Amino acid sequence: MPPSNKSHIRKEEWERRLHDVHISRNDLNRLVMDYLVIEGYKTAAEEFSREADLSPSVDLESIESRMNIREALQRGDVAEAITRVNDLNPEILDMNPALYFRLQQQKLIEFIRQGRIQEALEFAQEELAPRGEENPEFLSELEKTMALLAFESSPLAPPAIAELLSPGQRLKTASAVNAAILESLSQAKEAKLVGMLKLMSWGASMLEEKADFPKLDVIEGTFN
Amino acid sequence: MSARQSRSASIPIPAARNIENVISMPFSTTPSALSTTRPRLISNTRPLTVHGSPDRGAMSTSRTNVASSPGRPVTSGSYSSIVARPIVGSNNANHPPFEPRIIRATSSPAPPVNPIDTTCLPNPTPPATARVRRPSTGRHTNVTASSASHIIRPVLTPNASIPAPSGGASLHASPQAFPRPAYLDHSAFRDLIRTNATVPVQFTEPLQVQRTLTGTTSNAPIPAPYPYLRRALSPAIDSDDEGSASPPPPAVSNTTSSKGIWSGKATFPLPTRWSEMDRHASLSISADGRDLTFCGPSCPGDRDSAAARANEPIPPACGIYYYEVEILHKGNKGHISIGFSCNDVRLSRLPGWEKHSWGYHADDGWSFPGHREGNPYGPVFDSGDIIGCGVDFSQNRAFYTKNGTFLGMVFENVGTDLEVYPSVGLRHTGESIRVNFGHEPFRFAIEDHVHSAKNRVWSNIQSTPINWHVLRGESAKYGEVVEGKKAGTHDEDDDAKESLRKLVFGYLAHHGYLETAHAFKAQCEGKPTTMEDSEFSDARDDEEDMDMDEGPSGSLSSIDEERSLRTRVNIMNNVLKGNIDAALDQTCAHYPSVLEREQGLMLFKLRCRKFVELILDASEALKKVKSGDAASHERGRDTTVATKVDQEGGEMMDDGGAMDVDDPSPEAQTHTSNSPSLDVSSSTTSTTGKKETTSRSPSSSSTASSPSHSSSGSALAKAALHNALKYGQTLESDYKPDTRPEIRSHLKRTFGVVAYPDPLAVGGEVAEMAGQEARVRLANELNQAILESQGKPAHPALEMLYRQAAACVAELGTQGVGAAAFADMSREFLDS
Repeated sequence: MPPSNKSHIRKEEWERRLHDVHISRNDLNRLVMDYLVIEGYKTAAEEFSREADLSPSVDLESIESRMNIREALQRGDVAEAITRVNDLNPEILDMNPALYFRLQQQKLIEFIRQGRIQEALEFAQEELAPRGEENPEFLSELEKTMALLAFESSPLAPPAIAELLSPGQRLKTASAVNAAILESLSQAKEAKLVGMLKLMSWGASMLEEKADFPKLDVIEGTFN
Repeated sequence: MSARQSRSASIPIPAARNIENVISMPFSTTPSALSTTRPRLISNTRPLTVHGSPDRGAMSTSRTNVASSPGRPVTSGSYSSIVARPIVGSNNANHPPFEPRIIRATSSPAPPVNPIDTTCLPNPTPPATARVRRPSTGRHTNVTASSASHIIRPVLTPNASIPAPSGGASLHASPQAFPRPAYLDHSAFRDLIRTNATVPVQFTEPLQVQRTLTGTTSNAPIPAPYPYLRRALSPAIDSDDEGSASPPPPAVSNTTSSKGIWSGKATFPLPTRWSEMDRHASLSISADGRDLTFCGPSCPGDRDSAAARANEPIPPACGIYYYEVEILHKGNKGHISIGFSCNDVRLSRLPGWEKHSWGYHADDGWSFPGHREGNPYGPVFDSGDIIGCGVDFSQNRAFYTKNGTFLGMVFENVGTDLEVYPSVGLRHTGESIRVNFGHEPFRFAIEDHVHSAKNRVWSNIQSTPINWHVLRGESAKYGEVVEGKKAGTHDEDDDAKESLRKLVFGYLAHHGYLETAHAFKAQCEGKPTTMEDSEFSDARDDEEDMDMDEGPSGSLSSIDEERSLRTRVNIMNNVLKGNIDAALDQTCAHYPSVLEREQGLMLFKLRCRKFVELILDASEALKKVKSGDAASHERGRDTTVATKVDQEGGEMMDDGGAMDVDDPSPEAQTHTSNSPSLDVSSSTTSTTGKKETTSRSPSSSSTASSPSHSSSGSALAKAALHNALKYGQTLESDYKPDTRPEIRSHLKRTFGVVAYPDPLAVGGEVAEMAGQEARVRLANELNQAILESQGKPAHPALEMLYRQAAACVAELGTQGVGAAAFADMSREFLDS
């Protein structure tokens, strides 16, 4: 035995415990449905609703409009996204000035990306500057964005600034909008399966300090 | 207060009552009763007639003992009517003439007469010398399942009091039973946390015994099925659902193993009273086990004190544990300490002065973290105050409340290595306190407190960065060393998303949700409707994108895989529709090894099912004859039945045909040229005639076997029955030599179906054997067998993920990691 006082759990015992865990097929199906809905797999959610005989928790049509907004942002079409969000529910942006600012900032970034410098400047002065005065956080974001103009596409730009032009920035904005829409639909922002991965990671790390137990390769579903 | 004041060692205690009448009311053991019966509810909803003086503020309501529901036939003085019902002896504290307490002789602080904790005894047992601390069998447990709801019901008992121990006679207290306090509902282990100890918890109990018990069906010693850990009470654990989602239990399990819930502690008992054993001799304990009174001469020395501990340690699986103490008499100096201690701490010291003890002192309001140098902490407290005392095992810190006000977190490392007990210390004559371990509603809003703590812990867990090495089953430490496979900004989100798609796709494919799987796959790799597969892919993400594309689609990449999935789904669908022949043929053609597994067990089960299907067809045909007769009487027509049956048969044929079209393989031909593994069944099919095998559908076979329009319904029915019985005979003779118990019992249950004209209507085991559920079960077994024959795991990774996470959390809980109590998987993930 190792010097530690870790307990050792044998494989047979551990498997018995796994077997004893109470989880039904229906439970798992609902977790999958939750995932499909939140992640926006509309067709799959429809099929699953039929094949697994489950009713989705939301109107599946709402997935589609959510996905359209996402796509618009990923294309860089911020104006389109804003229109669609307002079509869906005008309160989403009204109630959430930070999100609205973020969208406007994204719009500015897209102008700069396209080299429409004149428009970018006008837009920044008319739309963003007044908001920057209201809120110091907005102001610093605005300053950061405007710095893009100085560096243009120079490779010397500091990462924090160059990052604004990356697809990651679009994704982040799209994620934030998606989360806000989900929230407005009283949906969780994150699929429960994501939470399960996090719990698994936490639990296995914690338990490793206390006990030797059979480790599962979560992705393959097999024990190492 | 005044009532308390009158207490003294000289109070005469009537000994008029038979001991059985005052012995502990039985504790409830049914989880449902426990969870539904909360003290707060009870005290609020029951009509109480208050006779006592409400001189103790809020506590007086629940302390009111001289009360009864008006409707109940309890009359004061009518003693005999009380005998039969549960009595809470301690509820009579306010009744003037008598005190339901045991007062020990103050002059001779001899060791307790009977140093045995009677609290836990759930059942009135006659005074016996051979009493055990905890019943080690389950025989007490079922006594009071239904009485849980009366537990707190105050009973008007004018004479209720405890017989004083006379001479050296055994002492039998009358502890007050109470259900699990409501705040503990926030613990993921709620169903294991109990206010009694009726479960056979013996730490020395050999593991094998435990195993045997859990293995048996109804005698399982875990009365509260813990959602994560529940042992299947019946072999068909998942029959309530679309089918088994659980791994089969390992064949052998008589192994030694770790400590933890499975090797001893089946439940977590809560403190319910002060321990008779674990107390200083100068302290007397009331009959209900809740009051502590300092009875001797005041402690002379500077350090001498008298402490008591509760009868059980606090289970960290509570997450947060809380109890309250009412100061009945502070005495002159108020040297009262309230807190916790481990059982290695001397009882002659106030909690907080010694290592492994923690206390909050009445006289100066200081807190003492295990040595004599304390710190200013809260206000002083006095007679009438209610001091609450909690441990938060998610932080291993303590907190106190005074009269419902939170005083702040205090102490560190409480209960990290040793079990802690609620403990109170007194020093001077006349000091007394009364504890509330959940007997009554708490003054402090503990539920809200626990609820917010739970949310905090959960969001902490959820914001812990994912360690991918851990999720791949590697050591976390290894992960630290090799950290940085992707530097910097590449966030775990992408990994998580990719992994999840793999998991979800694997799940859909495993269970044969074919169309969903296709749609999912198409959406993942096709049009950029999801963020991850957007049109962007800069250099950094290129590699990742490739991985992603292979992720969900990997297992479907080849056409073979695709076909295999379709075939598997077809086979399952055939079983689900009752087309066993078709399923057999397809399995034989594509996965012949499956039928040979475990010496042909799968084949056997399929054939049994085939027999059941034939019986069902026969019974269906018979039903139609009967309804047809009725119809013909009414309408004077006789042809209805035949046409009906014909139509049915036609539909069934179409179904079978559709299957064949779906499946590219020509197993329509294979069934006649049987492979070796099908030899057994081929013999039967040949006896029942070629027509049946060709048409696949039993009912259509009966149709076909009779010239359609001219034959009467009853002839059809007869033919169907004949057909079925013939098949059954062959089945029986084929498997006669097989003496495996599972074969024998399955065969027996299969033939049991014959005894009923309409098996589906019978209900119970027969219907279970015959109905759709059985098909579902069989389809799942077959599916699993096919997957295993392909070298794939028997269970989808997604399901294993859930099970593994649940097992980890449960083990953490039993290892004393309090945060695990707030990782409530069933509530967070399953409740919608």
